[in-house]
Amino acid sequence: MATIPVPAVRAGRGAARAAWFGAALVALITAVTLSVIVGANPLHPGAVLDTMFGGGTAESRFVVWDQRIPRTAAGMAVGAALGVAGALIQAFTRNPLADPGILGVNAGAAFFVAVGITFFGVTSPLGYVWLACAGALLLTVAVYAIGSAGGQAAGPVRLTVTGVAIGAVFAGLTTGLTLTHPDAFDRMRGWSAGSLLERGFDVVLPVLPLVLVGLALALWAAPGLNSIALGPDVARSQGVNVRRIQLVVLLAVTLLAGSATAVAGPLVFVGLVVPHVVRWTLGTDQRRIVLGSMVLGPVLVLASDVLGRVAVLPSEMPVGVVTAFLGAPVLIALVRRRSATAL
Amino acid sequence: MRLPSSSLRSRGLLAGLALPVVVAFALTGCTATPSSSSGASETPSTADTGTHLVEHARGETEVPNDVQRVVVLEPVQLDTTVALGVIPVGAAVLNEAAGVPAYLGDAAAGIATVGTVPEPSIEKIAALKPDLILGTESRHSALYDQLSSIAPTVFMATQTDPWTDNVALVARALGDEAGADKLLAAYDDRCAEIAETYDTAGMTAQFVRPRDGILTLYGPTSFAGSTLECAGLTIPERDWEESISVDISPERVLEAQADLVLVSATDVTDETLVPDSIRTNAASFPGLTVVDQSFWITGVGPLGGMTVLDDIDRILAGSK
Repeated sequence: MATIPVPAVRAGRGAARAAWFGAALVALITAVTLSVIVGANPLHPGAVLDTMFGGGTAESRFVVWDQRIPRTAAGMAVGAALGVAGALIQAFTRNPLADPGILGVNAGAAFFVAVGITFFGVTSPLGYVWLACAGALLLTVAVYAIGSAGGQAAGPVRLTVTGVAIGAVFAGLTTGLTLTHPDAFDRMRGWSAGSLLERGFDVVLPVLPLVLVGLALALWAAPGLNSIALGPDVARSQGVNVRRIQLVVLLAVTLLAGSATAVAGPLVFVGLVVPHVVRWTLGTDQRRIVLGSMVLGPVLVLASDVLGRVAVLPSEMPVGVVTAFLGAPVLIALVRRRSATAL
Repeated sequence: MRLPSSSLRSRGLLAGLALPVVVAFALTGCTATPSSSSGASETPSTADTGTHLVEHARGETEVPNDVQRVVVLEPVQLDTTVALGVIPVGAAVLNEAAGVPAYLGDAAAGIATVGTVPEPSIEKIAALKPDLILGTESRHSALYDQLSSIAPTVFMATQTDPWTDNVALVARALGDEAGADKLLAAYDDRCAEIAETYDTAGMTAQFVRPRDGILTLYGPTSFAGSTLECAGLTIPERDWEESISVDISPERVLEAQADLVLVSATDVTDETLVPDSIRTNAASFPGLTVVDQSFWITGVGPLGGMTVLDDIDRILAGSK
C-alpha cells in the first residue's frame, strides 16, 4: 500500500524530491499489481501470472483480461484525471476545500445521465460516458458564461459561487427526476456511488484522449499558476497572460473531471485529498503538485478499488464508497501533522 | 364485488378472471359509491354492515365484511386483491410512470396510483375514501396512525416473508380465505403440471437480476426462486446468508451457471440489458433467457405466480 514519504532534509531537496517520486512510483506499481492479482474471485496469484502470459482457464482469462485489466486502466485514468483536476482547481480558486465538482462538473454530468436514463432508456456505462461528458462540458461553459456576465472577467470567486449555485440547481433537478422514476433511481444509485465495474476498454478508450489533453494542458499551465499564486499583478509583471492561464486551467479541469466522472461516476474525494497529500509532502510548486497528483491519484483510486473488491465478498463495494473511507483518515492524519495549508 | 372463483383452474385462471372482473368493475363503476355525503372515514352503505377481527403485524383491527374500496400499498396485496376479485380503488406502485403492472390485466388498468410503494401519498389515499387499507409494517410503519385514521388498516409484517403467507393475510382481511386457498391450490396444480410435462426433476435453474455490474442471485425463499422450485426445478446450492438473494461480483459470474439461467430485464427484447459478464461468458450460459422483471420480480402474488409459471412453461417448451 502507498506510504507517503515526507522530505525531511532541507539540504538535499532535490534528492528528497527524487526519493518522493521514486516512492510514489513504487506505490503506483504496487497498486497496479494488486489490482490485477486481488479480486472477488480468489484466483491464485500464480494462475493470474500464467493467464497474463497466455495461459490460464477460460474463467481466469475472463477475470484477468475482461475484468481486472480494463478496470485497472480505468482506475489509473480516473485517478490521474481527478488528482490533477483537484490540484488545478485548488490552485485556481485558492480554496483548500475546492474539488473538481465545484464548477458544477459532477452536477452537470449526473443530470445528463439521469435524463438519459429516464427519457432515452440509456442503460450501459458506454451510454453514460458521452452523456456525462456532454453534461460536464455544457455546465462548466454555462457557469463560465454566467460568472463572467456583466462585462467583467470571471474571477475565481465569482466562478466558485456560480458553480456552487448552478450545481445545486442541477443536483435538485436530478434528485427530482430520480425520485419520480424509481427505475432511474435504481440505476443512478449505482452510477452516483462511483464504480469501476463493467468499465471495459470500450468505455475507457473513447475518453482517454480527453484525459491526455487535459493532463498536457495542466502541465503547460502549472508554471503560470505559480506566478498567479503571487498575485495577478506580479504575474502580469512577469509576463504571464493571467486570463489565458485561467481559461486553460478551466478547460483542463473540465476535460479531466468530466471524463473521469463519465467513466466512473462522481468520485468526490479523490480530487480533494490527493493534491493536499502532495502539497504537504512536496511543497507548493504547481509543476510538482500536478505531477505528484498524477501519480498519487491512481494509487488512491486503485487501492480503494482493490479494498472494495474484497470488502463484502462475494459481492463488491463501489470504489466511490471506499475512496472516502481510505482518503479521509489520510487527510485527517496530515491535518494533525502539519499546521497550515500552503496554497 | 367478489367473484365466484370456483371454476377457475390452472391455465384458464387469467382469462377466467378477466371477463367477470371487467363486468363487475363496469357495473360497480356505474352504480356504487353514492358519494358518501360527509366524512372521509365513513364506510359506504352496504348490505352487510358486520365486521370481522383481523390479527396482523400492528395488532387487531375490525374490518368491514363487505369492503368495497380497498387501497393497497404493496405489490403482493395488489396482486392478491385483484386475484380475489376485489379490484382496489388505489394502489401504491413501484414506478409511477409505468403505473399498475400490465400483467394484472385490463381489470386492474383503471386503478388509481397513490404514490410509490416506499412513499405512498396520504393525501391521495384519503381522497379515495377507502374502507380498508393494506400496508406493510417494514415499509410503512411510520404511516400506520395516519392511515388508520382514514380507514381500518391491516399491515403485513414484511415483504420478505414467504409470499403465500402474505396472500393468506390479505385473504383474511377481505374475509375470503376460501378464495385464497383456491388460488394457491390452482398455483400448486399448475406447478405440478409443468413439473410433469417437462420432467423438471434434477434440472437446475437460477434467476439473476443484474444491477450496475453486480449480479443478484435469487434464492429459494424469493418469489421467483420459490416459483422455480415449485415447478420442480432446483436452485443450485450456495450460502444464501438467510436472505432472499445474494449479490455476487461479475468476477464470480460462473457461480450463476445452471441448466436454465433467467436474467431479468425491463425490456426482454433489449440484448444490451444482459450484463457484459454473462455475454462474455456466453459459452457457459447455454440455457440463457431474458425474462420480464415486471412479473418475475414485482409480480408477487397468485396472478403474478401464474404469469411466471406460464413464462417457465413457454421457456421450457422452447428449450425442448
